Amino acid sequence: MTTTVSTAPVRKSKLRRSLTSPTTARILFPFVVIGVWYLIYYTIDSRIFPTPQQVLQFMWEEVTLTSGVRYSSVASNLYEQFAVSLLRLSVGFIVAMVVGTVLGLAMGLSKSVDAFFHDWVMAILAMPALVWALFLSIAFGFGNMAPILTVILAGIPFVIINVREGVRNTPKELIDMAKSFEVPQNKITRHVLLPSLMPFFFAAIRYAYSIGWKGLVIAEVFGSQVGMGWTIKFWYDAHRAHGVIGYALFFILFALALEKLVFDPLARRAFKWRPQLDAFQLAEGDFGAVRQEGFLLEEDEIDQELEVTGMEGRSHDG
Amino acid sequence: MAEIKVQDLHKEFGVGENRVVALENVNMSVQGHVFVSIVGPSGCGKSTLLNILSGIETPSSGTVTITQDNRDADPGYVFQAARLLPWRTVMDNLLFVQKDKSEASKERCQRYLEMVQLGDKGDRYPGELSGGMQQRVGIARAFSIEPDVLFMDEPFSHLDAITARSLRRELHAMWRHTKKTVLFVTHDVGEAVELSNRILVFAKGGQLKDDLQVDLPFPRDPADDAVAVAKAQVLRKFEELDLVAS
Repeated sequence: MTTTVSTAPVRKSKLRRSLTSPTTARILFPFVVIGVWYLIYYTIDSRIFPTPQQVLQFMWEEVTLTSGVRYSSVASNLYEQFAVSLLRLSVGFIVAMVVGTVLGLAMGLSKSVDAFFHDWVMAILAMPALVWALFLSIAFGFGNMAPILTVILAGIPFVIINVREGVRNTPKELIDMAKSFEVPQNKITRHVLLPSLMPFFFAAIRYAYSIGWKGLVIAEVFGSQVGMGWTIKFWYDAHRAHGVIGYALFFILFALALEKLVFDPLARRAFKWRPQLDAFQLAEGDFGAVRQEGFLLEEDEIDQELEVTGMEGRSHDG
Repeated sequence: MAEIKVQDLHKEFGVGENRVVALENVNMSVQGHVFVSIVGPSGCGKSTLLNILSGIETPSSGTVTITQDNRDADPGYVFQAARLLPWRTVMDNLLFVQKDKSEASKERCQRYLEMVQLGDKGDRYPGELSGGMQQRVGIARAFSIEPDVLFMDEPFSHLDAITARSLRRELHAMWRHTKKTVLFVTHDVGEAVELSNRILVFAKGGQLKDDLQVDLPFPRDPADDAVAVAKAQVLRKFEELDLVAS
């Protein structure tokens, strides 16, 4: 009996293929956003909701420092506000990274240390940044302390958890390999342990930075008289939606620039041994870590398989 | 001449109800330029034995000595998975296990990479190589430290049959050429018969059941009648020893 299988492929036209490609999809996205924006603009009360042009014009005036002509009540400019916020973010971020890494290492290495801190880390993780911002501005007033501490407290649990998981996921198979070849311990630490921690460390950096930003804005809205968050609140109080949206876009642009100009190149350098890594994985902080490379758990899995197939199961010629 | 001596070796894991005996009272000795296979079903302790010999695990009781002309012997290890550092190039993986980074070490590493036909892949990362190539790097790494004894733990069980066959042939040529003492763990009787002078048979529970000699000239062709007959004899031995559940 013969079976005929139709081999004629379903051909997509070249045009259709290029229209549905991921690159097109990515380019298409901003246009869809602007379309939806106009749709909302024409549906709701347009005295409140700004058009994209209005927002862009506002942002341009802020960048060129010409908005003072129209809004003379604004005391300081974009660059001063941004500098204040960036400084607070940087200090908070660095403290969160350093303290979080130390705690994460200790918790990953010692079960007792982990038991001591575990519930506290979870509690801090569960606490909304808003509550930190409110509480800390009551405690410390309207200075730098409350925003910086909010950045630290918002970001630190993610650093701790990521570093701890990194330590727990150290590739035992590779360490055993190094030991069986009598490689000295300091060489094992440098060339096996630290590189295996890198994906987790990068994930920690991204979390601490992005969650820190969010915490900072909230803290500045409630507990500050300068900074980007405060400026957003200023435009909110002035009932100018283009100001609120414009400043939010400044944030997004800065975050994207940092991502593309700092984090991506750093990650590409640290992970050049994974050539198959694509931009999406980089953006997600997902480096596939070590498991896909096939040295965590692999032998356990194989043992299980052998249990089933028995001794001759994987014989090469039988 | 390298010598491996195992006396009254006992290894168990866990305590109380979870206690598992991995090796029970094992005595064996291996000397000189021999290729010894250790076969048995999974759970017979063969990997544990290799881990103890290479110092990754410590025995519960008993002694293990590995000497080369009355000094401590240098062991090399080939694992089931290649166990390469994915963030270092092939060449750097070999250099990682060298005692120094001298030119002589580099030349030696390059020589062994060429021996496994990867002379031009030194600057590649393991992730860019196929599974068979990675395992070749693992073999080159073990040979590159010019060890006195070589431990191998089912190094070909991951690979497809054709790649495994060609690697077996390469490995055996390297063994004949370098005259090392090899201890080779496998669950594959055909592989053991093809490669070894001696086959140690382990049973579940970690008892050494038998010590078989395979007196056929090398290199052996697995398709050869004499090799097939030897394999059948070994399998029959398994039945006699009651290793195969009915």
